[in-house]
Amino acid sequence: MIEIDDLTVQFGGVRGLSELTARLPESVTGLVGPNGAGKTTLINVLSGFVRPTAGRVSIDGQDLKDIAIHKRAGFGIRRTFQNEQVVENLTAADNIRAILDNVPIDGRPRTALIEQALEFVGLAAKGNVLGRDLNAYQRRMLEIARAMVGRPRLVMMDEPGAGLAQHESEHLRDVIRQLHGHCGAQVLLVDHDVDLISATCMATLVLDFGSAIAYGPTASVLAEPKVREAYLGMLEDAT
Amino acid sequence: MTDQSLEGVPSIRAVRFPLRWGVLCAAALIALYVIPDALSNYWLRTFISAAALTIASLSVGPLFAQVGMVSLAQFGLLGVGGWFALRISHGLGAPFEIALLCAGLSAALVGLIVGLPALRMRGLYLAIITLMMAGAIQVLISAFGFPDGGPGILGKSTGARLMMARPFVAQSDQAYLRYAVVVTVFCYLLVLAHVRGRPGRAWAMIRRSEVCALAGGVDIVAYKVWAFALAGFLAGVAGAVLAGGVGQLDGSAFPASQSIMLFALTIVGGAYSWFGPIIAGLMLRAFPALLNDFRVDGNIATMVFGIGLLHALITAPHGIAGQLSDLAGRLRRVLGRERKAGP
Ligand SMILES: Nc1ncnc2c1ncn2[C@@H]1O[C@H](COP(=O)(O)OP(=O)(O)O)[C@@H](O)[C@H]1O
Ligand SMILES: [Mg+2]
Repeated sequence: MIEIDDLTVQFGGVRGLSELTARLPESVTGLVGPNGAGKTTLINVLSGFVRPTAGRVSIDGQDLKDIAIHKRAGFGIRRTFQNEQVVENLTAADNIRAILDNVPIDGRPRTALIEQALEFVGLAAKGNVLGRDLNAYQRRMLEIARAMVGRPRLVMMDEPGAGLAQHESEHLRDVIRQLHGHCGAQVLLVDHDVDLISATCMATLVLDFGSAIAYGPTASVLAEPKVREAYLGMLEDAT
Repeated sequence: MTDQSLEGVPSIRAVRFPLRWGVLCAAALIALYVIPDALSNYWLRTFISAAALTIASLSVGPLFAQVGMVSLAQFGLLGVGGWFALRISHGLGAPFEIALLCAGLSAALVGLIVGLPALRMRGLYLAIITLMMAGAIQVLISAFGFPDGGPGILGKSTGARLMMARPFVAQSDQAYLRYAVVVTVFCYLLVLAHVRGRPGRAWAMIRRSEVCALAGGVDIVAYKVWAFALAGFLAGVAGAVLAGGVGQLDGSAFPASQSIMLFALTIVGGAYSWFGPIIAGLMLRAFPALLNDFRVDGNIATMVFGIGLLHALITAPHGIAGQLSDLAGRLRRVLGRERKAGP
């Protein structure tokens, strides 16, 4: 459960987020809106990279301002990046091991956790391959694997579907669908692909100019006229 | 797909390496036993210094190659380590090993202080700040000199200068060279344990980007500080090995410029490779000695190093070691092709 109250983020003269208030209880929630709407900024506030100018955010009742940035992974806030951040000079397995070094593992053997995670995202055969030798799609998947090991509460994905081929998108869709069942984390998914959002998210929050303009069950939210209006801009941007 | 062929590589390596490492280790042990006895005094002392400087270069490499941070204070930290080694050895009559350890720990502490600016700065600014630290160390060392058996905190003697006691098991130059090589091996193992372990993974994430590290739960401050402390420890150990080899240290031998030279030659030797520091150590000490042997002015070495650095920066970012392993790879491919072409 993510609770956001009057969240404002000011970048100099630019407002990244503007008095955003939302309750996001669903296990898989979509976050959409035109470019510059504040989606990445919201994820950054949750991960701690951006300090709110005003307002508060909490997860499972815990106010995030009390958790230092590097402690948030251990607390269970995990993410992938819009610009992929796989470590090139570590193997795929070590990329995941590097996360397991810093998050609770409940005494389970690391090697088994790593194998499970790689298996889950379809990289079972790539454990010994260096990050730099993975292709763009495999890196995307490895980031998801990194985000779901240990005991995550919230997995945030920033545009994981951007620039993927058809069969890759389909695989990504399956992975996202199974993610909550697999690791129990709430999933927050940012993407421009309406099909992906509709296929995976129970509820969707629509941002525009840093504020929520709609929230509710995905199908009905995406059908709202004001959302479609904001979307028109977005779809033009995306193509 | 192309990556299917890649998958086979690690498993083949894993099988082949133990045998090859076994042979290499055996050869190294035999060489370690035989070679020192065949060397003249001059070359013994040269190689002892080269071993110390290999450790010093090893202290620069991981910081740069693993974390992406530049420290231009490492040679100064050698001086710090040397100072404490001499002080403890003369003052307490402590065994060499204790002096070595204390040298490492004290230089680690100073190295940690050198590294504090790294928490806020990077790149050129960090390099300049660490160079200033090296300058400060230079000023202190040339003002107070190294302990040589005298009384008081500074341990300066007014009469005859005492030599630092060598390890009990390594009194002769031959034995001390072997001892220095063994210490170097331990330093390598220490670095290896870090790189392969949790710190190495954390450093790799920090080097990828700070957001990557933070999102992965890495305590960036702690791991950067730890990298500097480790580098300081190695430099301190190098200082103690140097002090034990020569017996005393010269207050004018640790100028800040040497720190730059050490950093530059580590890059030339190859900061990313295991034998890069060895190449750097040999270049710093054995190469000028070789020129001396041929009665060529040793200062020419500095010019050659400058050219080497330019070459490394322009064409070979992985240094000489990188080029050697490229060459080895090419040879292996050529040989492999011949073997396949044969019966
Ligand atoms: N670090 C930053 N500094 C200044 N402005 C920023 C920064 N990050 C985002 N912004 C601005 O905040 C707004 C929201 O950006 P962002 O959250 O990246 O949008 P989205 O991810 O929805 O495309 C944009 O106007 C963007 O220019
Ligand atoms: Mg964005």
